[in-house]
Amino acid sequence: MKQKEFLNTILPCKNTLYRLAKRLLVSSDEAEDAVQEVFLKLWKGRDKIDNYRSPEAFAITITKNYCLDRLKSKQASNIKIVHNNYKNSENIERTIEGNEGVELVTKIMETLPEKQKMIMQLRDIEQFEFVEISQMLEINETAIRVALSRARKVVREQLIKQYNYGIS
Amino acid sequence: MELAKIEALLDSYFKGETSLDQENMLRDYFSTATIAPHLMAYQGLFVGLKNAQKEVSEREVSLPESSTNSRSWWLSIAATLVILLGVVGLQFPANQMTTEEQHALAEFNKSRTTLLLMSKSFNKGTQELAVISQFTETKNRILK
Repeated sequence: MKQKEFLNTILPCKNTLYRLAKRLLVSSDEAEDAVQEVFLKLWKGRDKIDNYRSPEAFAITITKNYCLDRLKSKQASNIKIVHNNYKNSENIERTIEGNEGVELVTKIMETLPEKQKMIMQLRDIEQFEFVEISQMLEINETAIRVALSRARKVVREQLIKQYNYGIS
Repeated sequence: MELAKIEALLDSYFKGETSLDQENMLRDYFSTATIAPHLMAYQGLFVGLKNAQKEVSEREVSLPESSTNSRSWWLSIAATLVILLGVVGLQFPANQMTTEEQHALAEFNKSRTTLLLMSKSFNKGTQELAVISQFTETKNRILK
């Protein structure tokens, strides 16, 4: 597979991979690093990509595994994750334009366990079907539905709590 | 859209029973300006989920220029060149003579020029002697 052909298949899902990585790793810098690593891994194993029904699903699986590994090694080395996604003024303006509610979603989803985070990310933000998510995360569909409804219930509780706090 | 329908959709959404289309209907509803007051709490969520998809990666990915296969091909050529250069480099100093040999050659050349000079002088001498044959000729003419 030539580099151009490879990029044509994989580049369209770059942002999806980035958002998933950022959901898990929180820091945008680390998420960018993760995307780079995942691309390298995919490039090295590009001959195998054709064996998968969907290159996108394969890419997401690789991203998931990479991010979970990163998190595990961080926990093992006991480094506290402090992230400040510093933005320059140009970025802040853009944030205000189209980012309404994103911060709220980020904040609420941060409290969820990894599995629920990934499922909610892929379903509610990337809008994949359950069959696809099941392939990507290597979890069966029923388990995904259960985890998703649990995640959404937590989200609902927090939304109501925040909303009531806001008005009272 | 009817409020009752939206409420029903919301309920099944939180149970994890909605389809993608139904979830899109919810997102659309919460993007509009007219949201029922008791549903306002959910507005931030659906708007946020919709906007979260707009976030993009800002760094370019870079891939290694050549594949591993062609790199090893280049490596083998480079290795061959290095070995060749090494062999040639070892051969050339061997072609050059040691100082002893150089001295011997210089001596040889010197003695050769000396000998040439000598033979030249001898030749000169023999030419001069050619006149002597004149005597024999004259004597033969007289003593016939």
